[in-house]
Amino acid sequence: MGKKSNPLTLLASLWRDHSYIFVFIVILIVYAITIQVNGNSFGGGHVSSILSSQNTVIVGTMAIGMALVIITGQIDLSIGSSLVLCTGVTIIAFNVTNNIFITIGAALLCGLLLGAVNGVLAAYAKIPPFIVTLGTMLIYRSLALWGVRAVDPEISGSSSSQFAMSSDNSMYDLMRMQFGTNSLKLAGFSIPFVTILFLVCLVLFVVIARNTKYGKAVYAVGSNARAAHLSGVGVQWIQCSVFMVTGLLVGVASVIQACKVGNITPASSGRAYEMYAIAAVVLGGIAMSGGRGNMLGVLFGALSYAAIDFIIVSIPALSADIQDTFQGLVLILVILVQTAGPAIKEKFVGRRRQAAT
Amino acid sequence: MGILKMEGVSKSFDGNQVLKNVDFFVETGEIHALLGENGAGKSTLLNILAGVLQPDAGSITFAGKSYHNPSIKQMERAGLAFVHQELNVVNDLSVAENIFFNRELTYPLGLLRKKEMLQLTGELFATLGVEMDPAQKVAELKTSQKQLLEICRALHTDAKLMILDEPTTALGNDEVEHLFSILRKLKADGKSFIFVSHKMPEVFQLADRYTVLRNGEKISTGRVADATPLTITTDMVGEKYAAKDVYLPRVFGEPVLELEGFSGQGFRDVNLIIRKGEVVALTGLAGSGASELMQTMFGALPSSGGSIRVSGEEVRGGIGKFMRRQVGMLPTNRKENSVIPDQSVLENEYLAEHNLSKAKLFINRGWETNRYQALKELLGIKAQNPGDAVTSLSGGNQQKVFFARWLNTDVDILLLDNPTQGVDVGAKEEIYGLILALAGQGKTIIINTLEIPEIKKVSDRCVVLYAGDVVAAFDHDDINERDVMLYSTNAVNAEKGK
Repeated sequence: MGKKSNPLTLLASLWRDHSYIFVFIVILIVYAITIQVNGNSFGGGHVSSILSSQNTVIVGTMAIGMALVIITGQIDLSIGSSLVLCTGVTIIAFNVTNNIFITIGAALLCGLLLGAVNGVLAAYAKIPPFIVTLGTMLIYRSLALWGVRAVDPEISGSSSSQFAMSSDNSMYDLMRMQFGTNSLKLAGFSIPFVTILFLVCLVLFVVIARNTKYGKAVYAVGSNARAAHLSGVGVQWIQCSVFMVTGLLVGVASVIQACKVGNITPASSGRAYEMYAIAAVVLGGIAMSGGRGNMLGVLFGALSYAAIDFIIVSIPALSADIQDTFQGLVLILVILVQTAGPAIKEKFVGRRRQAAT
Repeated sequence: MGILKMEGVSKSFDGNQVLKNVDFFVETGEIHALLGENGAGKSTLLNILAGVLQPDAGSITFAGKSYHNPSIKQMERAGLAFVHQELNVVNDLSVAENIFFNRELTYPLGLLRKKEMLQLTGELFATLGVEMDPAQKVAELKTSQKQLLEICRALHTDAKLMILDEPTTALGNDEVEHLFSILRKLKADGKSFIFVSHKMPEVFQLADRYTVLRNGEKISTGRVADATPLTITTDMVGEKYAAKDVYLPRVFGEPVLELEGFSGQGFRDVNLIIRKGEVVALTGLAGSGASELMQTMFGALPSSGGSIRVSGEEVRGGIGKFMRRQVGMLPTNRKENSVIPDQSVLENEYLAEHNLSKAKLFINRGWETNRYQALKELLGIKAQNPGDAVTSLSGGNQQKVFFARWLNTDVDILLLDNPTQGVDVGAKEEIYGLILALAGQGKTIIINTLEIPEIKKVSDRCVVLYAGDVVAAFDHDDINERDVMLYSTNAVNAEKGK
């Protein structure tokens, strides 16, 4: 055991604990190669587009919550639908009040409520989270679909089955133009404001997971709920609270959606976002079995997933219909390397050990 | 000619010899009681017989054939059936489907011959005198019926020798009687049984012969009719020398824990007053309710009657309520109930404390690490650094971490449920020393254990439970293995009845 730490062992431990960084780097290199092959030169613009893509900022924000839910050993399938319903409420609040604070408050409150419904049913009524959120996934989207037709176009902001931010409001310019689609220019590198919001949320939850008692309890519940219970952890409350936190983050994502995109279409927006979020969490090295994983992984997971999307879109030979096949394949491949890798290594090391004796 | 002959069987685990040259013979058509304390080597011997473990030395002759390192399948085919203590029936299938499980009668293409299986099951039950509906779902059966079902399944495989590992733990008196009458009938038909039980009255009711193991050695064997509960108990316990005694009498303070008519799952009407600084042992065999009593005293199981007062105030509710009254519990079965496998030593150690200091949201890592160092010294935890995975520690060191988990919360009353389970001898001694040191500091400790030498070493008082009732209490000087064993197996009543 008395090995000195040299760059190689440091790299090995980095690989073991933060493999998601390597995953992202590899995917980024592949992206750079595809850009070069297409005859363009890879540059800051491409990185910037990954940082500001929907898959990074909107799915990424929700994936932070998804990560907590998965760490407790549960799952939330409703976040795509929650986003749609919550953004609808957010846009209505904006169109009616033209007040930034009420708009944000409505987004967060609505998200919290939708998450609390999931949490109470999963943790206290003890319905399996998969089933609860499958149910609310259907309910939330259908409520949004119904709402967009039931509400006066004056309030929904659009007559075409869409919720849209009303450009007549005086705050429209501030929210959409100044915040939603604008970037912070820093030393020649521009970072969209919405990306900064995502990063702030991420840092907040990295700190919560690492440095608070609540964070440790979340991991403990996912690792061994019975032992956590016998140590006095309110297991049901923890299980419920992660859904509520996810709801709050869906609220944040709704604000981003409203400001960045300006509208949402209940029939088509946010479809499969729950799956993208799960993919980002898994690419971020967080174990689906619960109890393990680094919240920082969500950042790289979301970036990786966004980059995979860009790679596939940038290959002209792939038609839109076949793109999901490649997305699925890449996802499975990455996870295979992560999970089968150590097992294969173990086998070889074991065999060598056997051969040695 | 006997059905089973095991000769000179030895077995070691990691250099620790658990069976020493053991001979074990079972005659055809008898019920043979295999007796011994926990850790005497019964399970190891039976697992070797069943082909689960391989012996280091020795031979097995079963039904006229000798076996060398047999496999589980081989022994099954030869006519051995192992009815385990924990039930292995499939709840979602019918009674008949369980009887034929994995041996289903089928038509070509694998379609089941359901009618035939129901009929055959009915016939089997009729010959055994078992009243059960072959078509009933197993989930709807009582525990005793499931036990019977499992025995029937073994019989259906045409087993010649059946191992019954504590078959009566889950049964009521009438059900035990019924089971015994069936066993006697089967015995008359020439079937043989190995009967493992901790309940002395049952042994004398049912068994023809017995064998006692102690510390991996065969101590005695003979006809039950020639023995008494007292002689057998003495054989089981032996003249154990107490290793160096660290116990010293202490002066106790005010009563800190008062149970009045306290009842719950598996125990009833317990009255107990425990004083500050006292070490009280609860003991009793599986099913005695001792562990359940302890869990209920911590709010981990609901109480169904009576009251519990901690430092003079009645406590009702769950674990949190008891923790705020400075009660802590180190649960039994460390892996299932204590270890957070994905967290570090430090995180595991602070899990309980965090719940009491929730108002401070953030973790003060420097302060926690300092306290960790102090507790590490006190408890002698052998860990490289606090960030190591808790699973990298040995069983004994893990257990010390969980002691620290509660010492961190400044407990006044510490409940220890089987604290030396899966801990090696050296660490055991350390834990005993620790218990006495804590008691010396004024902590009140209640320990639930089956190991009587352990009780003698640390406790001021020993409370014995049998089938949910407190049946005896001994002061430190009166604690001896034989008497405690007599009460926990209810041999006292068997002796009286004789």
